[in-house]
Amino acid sequence: MKSILPIAVVILAFLWYLSFSATRLDRLHHRVETSWANLDGILQRRAAVALELAHSEMADPASSLLLTSAAYQARETTIGDRSQAESGLSGALGLLQNDLDVRLTQGEQALLRELSELTEKIRIAIALHVDAVHRTQSVRKKLIFNVFRLAGTAPLPVTYEFEDDVL
Amino acid sequence: MSDGRKLKIGIVCPYGWDAPGGVQAHIRDLAEYLISAGHNVSVLAPSQDEDALPAYVVSAGKPIAIPYNGAVARILFGPIAFTRVRHWISEGDFDLLHLHEPAIPSLSLLACWAAEGPMVGTFHAASKRQKAIFAIGPILEPVIEKLSARIAVSEAARMTLTDHLETDAVVIPNGVYTKHFSDGKFRPEWGGNTLGFIGRFEEPRKGLSVLLDALPIVARFVPDVKVFVAGPGERENLMKSVNVQLKDRVTFLGRLSEEEKADFLSSVGVYVAPNTGGESFGIILAEAMSAGTCVVASDIPAFTWMLGNGKYGTNFNSEDAADLARVLIDVLLDNKKRTKLATAGQIHSKIFDWDSVAEQIYSVYEMAIVGNGKVRLSSDTRSWNRFLSKGE
Repeated sequence: MKSILPIAVVILAFLWYLSFSATRLDRLHHRVETSWANLDGILQRRAAVALELAHSEMADPASSLLLTSAAYQARETTIGDRSQAESGLSGALGLLQNDLDVRLTQGEQALLRELSELTEKIRIAIALHVDAVHRTQSVRKKLIFNVFRLAGTAPLPVTYEFEDDVL
Repeated sequence: MSDGRKLKIGIVCPYGWDAPGGVQAHIRDLAEYLISAGHNVSVLAPSQDEDALPAYVVSAGKPIAIPYNGAVARILFGPIAFTRVRHWISEGDFDLLHLHEPAIPSLSLLACWAAEGPMVGTFHAASKRQKAIFAIGPILEPVIEKLSARIAVSEAARMTLTDHLETDAVVIPNGVYTKHFSDGKFRPEWGGNTLGFIGRFEEPRKGLSVLLDALPIVARFVPDVKVFVAGPGERENLMKSVNVQLKDRVTFLGRLSEEEKADFLSSVGVYVAPNTGGESFGIILAEAMSAGTCVVASDIPAFTWMLGNGKYGTNFNSEDAADLARVLIDVLLDNKKRTKLATAGQIHSKIFDWDSVAEQIYSVYEMAIVGNGKVRLSSDTRSWNRFLSKGE
């Protein structure tokens, strides 16, 4: 009888650790999802601002065309092409910002200010998402998570290419 | 703080509220800034005297002095503190927790352990990679992972974080009310070829001895050079360490008020920060830069980052008095260079202004609360329940 007690304690401790690890992984997956939702939301806002810029006076017809198509692509593309679309929009916005007329109306200045604020936020949001993904990836590499399939059927999160070079 | 939403924010301060310190000052300014923007803020901190606390601070008990990382930290933890932290979290009904220095044994670590939901962590410390991290890493990692977003106050603090915990952070500097310092009045008695130093000169890592060793060399080339030392300490202790021939060049001012500090930084010819290490940020450099004074600082990582690798001030080889003397003579004799660096520094100091810093911190808050609900207590039973239901 006496020998059962330590074994039971070890098993209990191990079960606790399994449950602890499962909670930990669950939390990480949640972090990946929320940080992506956040980044996605800000990128959508950027696309909206880009459209407004395209329709404003400061864009010449050619830039306007480029911006409009890039913004629509970013908004409506599938997740597979999303990365390319966002890079395209960054490029188009960069072209417009590099080549600005000095005479801007107040409305246009406000738009540009909003754009630069969004750019700053995107930078932070990308850092948060990339960090969440990397943490999840490194935790899921650990043995215990594989042996006991603690990740279940959740796909391994990935970062997007545009997160490296955007802005 | 563009949108109209008002948040309920809980901030945890790891160090004793009554003790002077950069982290406490940062939390105080941040809390007051957020409150003036209309948010509801509660700060949980250890404190000696509960009656002397501002209305927004909740005491978690008396701090204990513990040697940590080569300095004495006044921190608090233990079962009673843990109960208070849990109570504060469950009563607070917070939208977000902002934990300062959650990677040291402190209230912040306890809060990070006890809470679930939107949490932001700010890492202040910078240190070299320690061997102990192999032992404490596995304990800290699952806790630090719970933070929805991490902030480092400088590039040095960020490197410390990536080295120790293999996790990245957004760099947002500590805040300064730059206007207070740019409004400082010039006082002729402190002006001219003068060198200013503020800090606890009795602590060796503040590096005053490096400056005093450089002084004889500087005096040979700049005959009217003078040094003003401000900060807590005893005059006799300072004068004991000064060479007899240089006694009339060194003046001890004692502690300065905030007003006097702004005037002092605006008046001295050069501000010298000879710190030999242990700094992760250097708020005094930001203050001197906002006052429009040329800054000469040692080349420890935090300071080279603050001075933009020499764009907004000059660095010298740390602990090298001869190099400090060379740099000082250079800026004292070259007025044009001195003015140029001072102007560049003053323009650059805008990035440390509270308006910009608080805005950045607030956008991190906004990102942390997306889809995370409110802050609540995480209890062990919950994970048990989850495990049991998964096993079925």
